[in-house]
Amino acid sequence: MTEQEFQRLSEFLYRRTGMLFGEAKSYYVQRRVTERMAASGATSFASYFARLRGDVLGEIEQFINAFTVNETYFYREDHQLQCMTTDLLRERLKGKPGGETVRIWSVPCSTGEEPYSIAIWLLENWPQVDAHDVEIIGSDIDTDALEAARAGVYGRRALMRLSAELVDRYFEPLDDEHWRVLEDLRDSVRFSPVNLMDAVETRANGRFDVIFCRNVLIYFDDTSRRIAAENLFENLAPGGFICLGHSESMSRISPLFEVCRYADAIVYQRPWEGARG
Amino acid sequence: MPLIRKGGAEPPAPARDERGEALATLTDGTNDQRWAAARAAGEAPGGVQALGQALLTEMDPRVREAIFTSLMRTHSPEAVEAILPHLRSDDANLRTGALDALRGLAGTATPNLPTLLRDPDQDVRVLACEILRDLPSVEAKPLLCELLGRDEQVNVCAAAVEVLAEIGGPEALPALVACMARFPNEPFLIFSIKAAVARIGAQITAHRG
Repeated sequence: MTEQEFQRLSEFLYRRTGMLFGEAKSYYVQRRVTERMAASGATSFASYFARLRGDVLGEIEQFINAFTVNETYFYREDHQLQCMTTDLLRERLKGKPGGETVRIWSVPCSTGEEPYSIAIWLLENWPQVDAHDVEIIGSDIDTDALEAARAGVYGRRALMRLSAELVDRYFEPLDDEHWRVLEDLRDSVRFSPVNLMDAVETRANGRFDVIFCRNVLIYFDDTSRRIAAENLFENLAPGGFICLGHSESMSRISPLFEVCRYADAIVYQRPWEGARG
Repeated sequence: MPLIRKGGAEPPAPARDERGEALATLTDGTNDQRWAAARAAGEAPGGVQALGQALLTEMDPRVREAIFTSLMRTHSPEAVEAILPHLRSDDANLRTGALDALRGLAGTATPNLPTLLRDPDQDVRVLACEILRDLPSVEAKPLLCELLGRDEQVNVCAAAVEVLAEIGGPEALPALVACMARFPNEPFLIFSIKAAVARIGAQITAHRG
């Protein structure tokens, strides 16, 4: 791939997803393009790029899937889960009419570890879980990851932070190395494709009380981060909270949110209506 | 289980695609309507001009933010032209919003930067140095070094030195040293330049090592 071809491809990916790959990542890009060329039968970059731009046989989706990072595990950064059950849900329930569903969004949810973690954590650690309807949605741009999330099959590494008791309670063993999330729990989480850069897609998911959006904005440039932040702002109910990854700060991205410091985590809140100009 | 019920709530109605009707409510209506219009206007024909006009009168910080983001998203010289006047604003939030937006548009704003770096207003020159931080260093360094050789204001030179400390290489060292000689009675600037020179020197050593 020539430098010019690399730039054309990077620009295409950026416009579609907000992910920005500079020249330092050219090896990473080259590898994935080579894989997609082999899989699609393209014999040259020009023919592959034409196929991509024309979205022949859904190539855009396959291409985007090849660039996403799906490395995660259960109970990752669980201090934020602790914060959710200790502080965030208590705050949210203060302002919600009785009987209204608590909505939680895991985006991007990758292969499902995070939304299932949220479900397990609530069942284990939130005494009010039986008193409220809770809707958990996991969304991702990578449709292959979503299929894996729906299947709910995980290896030992993904489960490394769960106790043996939790694994026994919420998973069924398939073989020595794989476990499947129990059907009841799988049925408790809904999965949907979403591109965080596309306001029409994000709005279709409605408003949430808590959003987990961890370790994705780091892949975006400044403009894309702002667009994603505005989309997420719209997806929060007034007074709702968003949790980012430990190395991310919404304050550096957008002034739309207020910083909330709790004992277990720093999170960001959509201000209540009328709280600011 | 399941204690957590799937789809407990009514699925929300899909939002309308508002791009086609954005301009009509950009300067009228409630904060929420103007916010939605600002977010959609960048992709509408004539949207950049309309966003620029709205920026002149919009007072709500959230809507302003959406206007800046939509202008950034166009990556257009027209967007740069619409934002530039607000670098002179007396409103610190608006000025900062303009600076952040121009940093995101630094590549598109490149042709404007030599003029900004010679602006009669020293505050604008300081902000222009900040925009250069987001340009590729090969483009930013000559502009900053040239400024260090002529600007009379110590604050402007200090801003340039701060950026060079981050992006500068060995080719920036002569301009930094010459600037130090131009301001022998400014200990703060001299301290900053020495720190920048040391930092660049350390980078050179690390690179060679």
